[in-house]
Amino acid sequence: MKKQLFAIPDRCTGCNRCAYICSASHEGVFSPYLSRIQINNFASRGYSVQSICFQCSKASCLEVCPESALYKDDGVVLVQRDKCSGCGECVSACPYGMIEIDNTGGVRKCDLCGGAPLCVEECFTKALVYCEPTADLAKLKGAQLRLRSQQGSPGEKRFRLGKALMDKARSTEEADTAQKN
Amino acid sequence: MNLYAGRILHVDLTKGVIEPVPLRQEWLKKYWGGWGLALRYFWETVSPGVNPLSPDNAIVIMTGPFCATAVPMTSRLCLVSKSPQTGTVFQSNIGGGFGPELKLAGFDGISITGRADKPVFLKIVDDRVTLEDASEMAGMGILETEKMLEHQTGLLGGKTLSIGPAGENLIPFSIVGSESYRQFGRGGSGALFGSKNLKGIICRGTGAIKAADMTKLLDTIAQHKSENLFQEDNLVLHTDGSACLVDITNEMGVHPTKNYTEGLNENSDRLNADAIKEVKLADRACNSCPIACGKFTKTGTTEVEGPEYETLCLGGSNCGIDDLPAVILFNRICDDLGMDTMSCGSVIALAMELGETGRHDFGLRFGNIDGYISVLREIANLSTVRGKDLAMGSKKLAAKYQAQDLSAEVKGMDIPAYEPRANYGMGIAYATSERGACHLRAFTVFSNDPFDLSRQVMDVIEGQNFSTIKWSMGFCDFWATIDLKIIADFLSVGLGEEVTQEELKTAGERIWNLARLFNVQAGFSNVDDVLPKKMMSTKLKKGAYDGNRFSEEDFGGALSEYYRSRLWNEKGVPEEEKLEALGLTRFMVEEKQ
Repeated sequence: MKKQLFAIPDRCTGCNRCAYICSASHEGVFSPYLSRIQINNFASRGYSVQSICFQCSKASCLEVCPESALYKDDGVVLVQRDKCSGCGECVSACPYGMIEIDNTGGVRKCDLCGGAPLCVEECFTKALVYCEPTADLAKLKGAQLRLRSQQGSPGEKRFRLGKALMDKARSTEEADTAQKN
Repeated sequence: MNLYAGRILHVDLTKGVIEPVPLRQEWLKKYWGGWGLALRYFWETVSPGVNPLSPDNAIVIMTGPFCATAVPMTSRLCLVSKSPQTGTVFQSNIGGGFGPELKLAGFDGISITGRADKPVFLKIVDDRVTLEDASEMAGMGILETEKMLEHQTGLLGGKTLSIGPAGENLIPFSIVGSESYRQFGRGGSGALFGSKNLKGIICRGTGAIKAADMTKLLDTIAQHKSENLFQEDNLVLHTDGSACLVDITNEMGVHPTKNYTEGLNENSDRLNADAIKEVKLADRACNSCPIACGKFTKTGTTEVEGPEYETLCLGGSNCGIDDLPAVILFNRICDDLGMDTMSCGSVIALAMELGETGRHDFGLRFGNIDGYISVLREIANLSTVRGKDLAMGSKKLAAKYQAQDLSAEVKGMDIPAYEPRANYGMGIAYATSERGACHLRAFTVFSNDPFDLSRQVMDVIEGQNFSTIKWSMGFCDFWATIDLKIIADFLSVGLGEEVTQEELKTAGERIWNLARLFNVQAGFSNVDDVLPKKMMSTKLKKGAYDGNRFSEEDFGGALSEYYRSRLWNEKGVPEEEKLEALGLTRFMVEEKQ
């Protein structure tokens, strides 16, 4: 079986080191905003949810591209920059908010660092793993894949999906803000 | 610019003027960032005699050169101002995500002066900075304020700083909170925001930080991480959090218990790291920190990140409270109302001892959970007589009830959770810190010889000089094994120019002396560098140093030696020779007493 990237939010501490390393490696600067992995922090509930590109087997971004600038190489969805017109169709199509227009007129998305993802290497708590799927990991990923959002900016989609996962993990019952006292 | 954003945001709340100003380059090599740079800006902005709660006082918050980078554990954001709790200049710092967000918005720091005529919040979205109406948030706790800020601005996941009712009511030990459970904890930063009618700040930054040689910097980071950071002395913070100190300090007999009367809590196993693990839901980290010392806990329906060691001791053992759910609730309420758990725990403990000794009955007793919890709102809201009394803080409460023999503070700042009678170095550190009793300037708890005064004096000076540069870089205290060589390495590679350990060492001493000069000009001298009567006259009970005290004679001798070693005169004023060596002559006190 091929290796895949898995996000395990229960182990994520919200440190964002993955995002710093990703942007440093891909953009040459430290900028979590430009990272191909994004962390949604829900500090008041002590929970963080990573947003990762799932390299979908049936990838909406790829299917919708009018220029055929997106292609699949060994299971990884990649961008051919010279073909990309920066039209943003893929950005709207991705239900996970994981492809974005960048400031060079093209789009940026996760390329799994050519098979050795640096975010995984950086993650101290192993909240990101890159391995062949196990039953548990496949189930976890399946649950994340099922949550989709078509509305709003990529950031809004990620936040909404992250919040839904957070609500599931932490009881939706609001914590006692000491109003009782 | 490499490592820096290159601009400071000046906000005049009286005039409603917001102005981004280029960073003062000439200050960087002397003050670097964080504490040092904030102090330099602060000095430029206010006169030492300023009333802390007046519009003329400034709040300067500053990131360090590594903030918003992959240099680990560098998110700490420093706040420098004149403290309403101590009347001195003070520095307080906060972890989490606000500092990096601010820097990514294009600002190394913010300097806030004046006073808004109604409650406002500052909204920063990269270059777009505005003051917005916060009237609807008046009186709200920090948790609700954070939600409102996010909701009202539509900045999902925006990072915030805000105050609760304690800050609005100018309580001297009120805090500014961020990410619900992180604080500029000590010195009364909440009251400073409150005095300026500044309810909060929300920030979204989408910029980037550059390095001179990114590839080499990433290699340097990987090297110091694996060779230095990832060792047992630091990793214990990942497994156990700061609660790891509960067992250690009890064993050492330095664990303040029942209003600093005892050095050992016999029931500390109910509040130690293992007890925390029983109720832990998750490990939590500040921005760019792999260690994740934060322990997110839940008991009943109460969630909190913590309690941290200081809260477990000063809000637990020191109040005679050994019930973890009660301490968790105390922590959550303090975080929400916006009060420092340390000073709040300490003032409650003082009120408890006043009650126990029959000197004044506040309806508070050691170990009584109901009073301990219910009084918190009374303090923050100034809603009852005893609430108003305790809201004055330990120093004024003790003065009102002639209980100076029972209180434990220096310059109005409550003694942290390390008993100075069982570790003289901590006593010297508390007496000489720029903000009163503080454990984050020099830390001699792990010293082999805690009663060798000469040795302790040297350790304190070395610790203070090093902490000063560490906080100026924004490093967390929990990279316990970091040294000047590592810091100089990161700077040299990140900036693309050689930075030496020696110049960093000098910068640390320079910043410490500049803070001292401010305090001297604010009216402080050797007579203020004292320890509470309790530590000098009353014997410590229980624990490894049962019966110990820190005699006035021993303390006086140590203080004189401290001044001499620092090249300060007998009044505690830096000598001209020292100031010359540090390039500080222009800040000299003109009229030496």
